[in-house]
Amino acid sequence: MTAVGDEIPEWVMAEVEPLRMQTMAALLRDPNPVHWDRASTHSRGLDGRLINQGPINVGYVANMLMAWQGETCVRRLRLRFPDRVLDGERIVAGGVVTGIDGETAVCDVWLERPDRSRPVVGEATVLLSRS
Amino acid sequence: MAIDPSHAATVAPVSIEELAGHRFTGGQRTIEHWENFLLTEVCGGPQLSDGLAHPAHLFHVPLDGAGVSIADLFSLAEAEGPDRVGLESYDWEYFAPLREDVAYTCSGEVVAVTPRRAEESAWDELVFAIELHDGDRLAARVTNTWQIWRSA
Repeated sequence: MTAVGDEIPEWVMAEVEPLRMQTMAALLRDPNPVHWDRASTHSRGLDGRLINQGPINVGYVANMLMAWQGETCVRRLRLRFPDRVLDGERIVAGGVVTGIDGETAVCDVWLERPDRSRPVVGEATVLLSRS
Repeated sequence: MAIDPSHAATVAPVSIEELAGHRFTGGQRTIEHWENFLLTEVCGGPQLSDGLAHPAHLFHVPLDGAGVSIADLFSLAEAEGPDRVGLESYDWEYFAPLREDVAYTCSGEVVAVTPRRAEESAWDELVFAIELHDGDRLAARVTNTWQIWRSA
């Protein structure tokens, strides 16, 4: 049974890949070159590393939640983006249950780098199907 | 999906703060299988069953359905370039799982524009919200906050 304090099993993106960002840019019709043209990020001090799109970062969090409580479990995602996720990074989605109300759980969620810094943080509401 | 890039240009307000209350044209948007497959792959997860669409669709699908592209929003917000737009936060609510081949009716507006200043930086915080309906039923709602960076 799910309880406050339970940790959500981690979900790992072993390496954020530029090709995925480029495909996403096409899907989104996103004109921002920081997602697909390395020249655009040299001037930002990123040494040509591309910036992962916000929706992909959301996707990592959603993947973690769906692997935990099923494909239809996601009810709300409230996420902030204090830092950028860059190509080549290893990103781990994590979370912990902070509250339970009937069949739903509220969880703190995040994306974390190996150095423990968190470029994405927030809160998710999840329908519990495996409690 | 139908996108008319002239939407933003034809209704651009005099000042950026007057954008608050600006309603998007609105319309319908269907998630097709091919794009669901690709987006799910891009996010690194397994393909979903029974026509379920990945939750990460709630960024561009509401915009497309509301008749405004990312480029339109950049123009509407008078961004000095596509790389002068940053991401502050998302609040995405799912009242039903997203599905392929459902014609979602999308409507929304710019909720607020707030000028921000820090020591050596200036930006406008742009908040917009869009609802997706499946028939009469509210299926999802997004409230997104962007940072539009301004030259000093």
